[in-house]
Amino acid sequence: MSSTIFHKTANTAAELIGSYFSRAGLVVLVALLTACSATVINIEGSFPAPLVQKIPLTIGVIYDDAFSNHSFIEINDTTGDDQYIINSGASQIALFNTMLPAVFEQVVQLDNMESASNYGELDAVFLPAIEEFQVGLPQKTRLNVYEIWVKYNMRLARANGDYIADWVMTAYGKSPEETFQSVDAGVNDAANVALRDLAASFTLGLSNIPEVNEWLRSENVLGE
Amino acid sequence: MLLAVSAAIILSSCTTTEIDEFRQSATTINQDESIVILGRRQNNNYETEESFVGCVADVVSSGQNSISVIDEREFLDAMFPFFEPRTAPMRTGHLEQLMAVDVAAEKMEEFGIEYIVWLDGITERSDQSGSISCTIGPGGGGCFGFGTWTDDSIYEAEIWDMDTLSSVGSISTEANGQSYMPAVVVPIPLIARVEANACSGLGNQLKQFINGS
Repeated sequence: MSSTIFHKTANTAAELIGSYFSRAGLVVLVALLTACSATVINIEGSFPAPLVQKIPLTIGVIYDDAFSNHSFIEINDTTGDDQYIINSGASQIALFNTMLPAVFEQVVQLDNMESASNYGELDAVFLPAIEEFQVGLPQKTRLNVYEIWVKYNMRLARANGDYIADWVMTAYGKSPEETFQSVDAGVNDAANVALRDLAASFTLGLSNIPEVNEWLRSENVLGE
Repeated sequence: MLLAVSAAIILSSCTTTEIDEFRQSATTINQDESIVILGRRQNNNYETEESFVGCVADVVSSGQNSISVIDEREFLDAMFPFFEPRTAPMRTGHLEQLMAVDVAAEKMEEFGIEYIVWLDGITERSDQSGSISCTIGPGGGGCFGFGTWTDDSIYEAEIWDMDTLSSVGSISTEANGQSYMPAVVVPIPLIARVEANACSGLGNQLKQFINGS
């Protein structure tokens, strides 16, 4: 009986040691994998509706896959590995879904250009796209700020696909580096400032785009 | 211990603050009127800290002769997109143009804002020297060394009257102080409260200025 107990105890000790080493190994493995893997930053934020006079027109908006799933990868300069993956698609859509209904009387979200013909009342279809996305991290720029710069291509077409306007817009946001602040928070803050910057330029400058101005005049929604 | 406490009191009070006021017009504010304090954020090299703006707002809205202050974030969201870094009025002439926009003027009226205060400035750290090393082992841990640095705060507040759409004056503050961090087993931070002193000095002066005293 006692030998059984001894045997059992020895087994338990071996199991404990084995378990200890396997756990330690797991911890080391996780630490190594974490050290090598990129940090995913999902941009989150809420945006106020712009305080502007609505244009009495109905537009459709198409967010293509590249826009709605927009992701930017920042490379580690030393190792060449992915360092940060910045997902901004969801917040880009949240911004446009807040901004466009404040600018236009009615906004309809469309899957693609073909579905525009299902809505007879559409005055135009709007297609935003991200052309470039840049991030400035304090550890790389040696500045005390996180920076985000985005270049957009905005397209406006008639429901039948005919061209109305095509223009480029840039957005910039910076956020001061704070003590004990995570990179995630710094990048998120800078991205939110950039998105607000875009909304500000878009809402206040839309009618100043020559082709858009011409279109608005043709629709009789802009004073002489 | 007594020596450390004495040193802490002496050294942590090593902050000098200078405040200058420039008044162009008389000011007054009623109980039902408010002000808003906004940070300037259009500069490339720096931006006025949100925490400093909040600190000055707290000083102005508390104590004797307190003034009602609209929260900066609430104001920026409600007035969006007119007070963003790229679109905010830089001069009173721009404010006049903005108030010609009906939706903006109506929202401003809703808030009952009598004065807009623009805060521009930054607190910077310089002259950092010394080093502290800490070790930890099975028997315990500890730190040893000495560190020191200087903080400089320079801020200017420009006050705009919403009735006359003109600047009524400005207040500038400059504060600096040296902080020390000796470490013998435990680090003892002897921090000069430079930004806090600049905030309370500017806030109290601003309160007096707007109340017309």
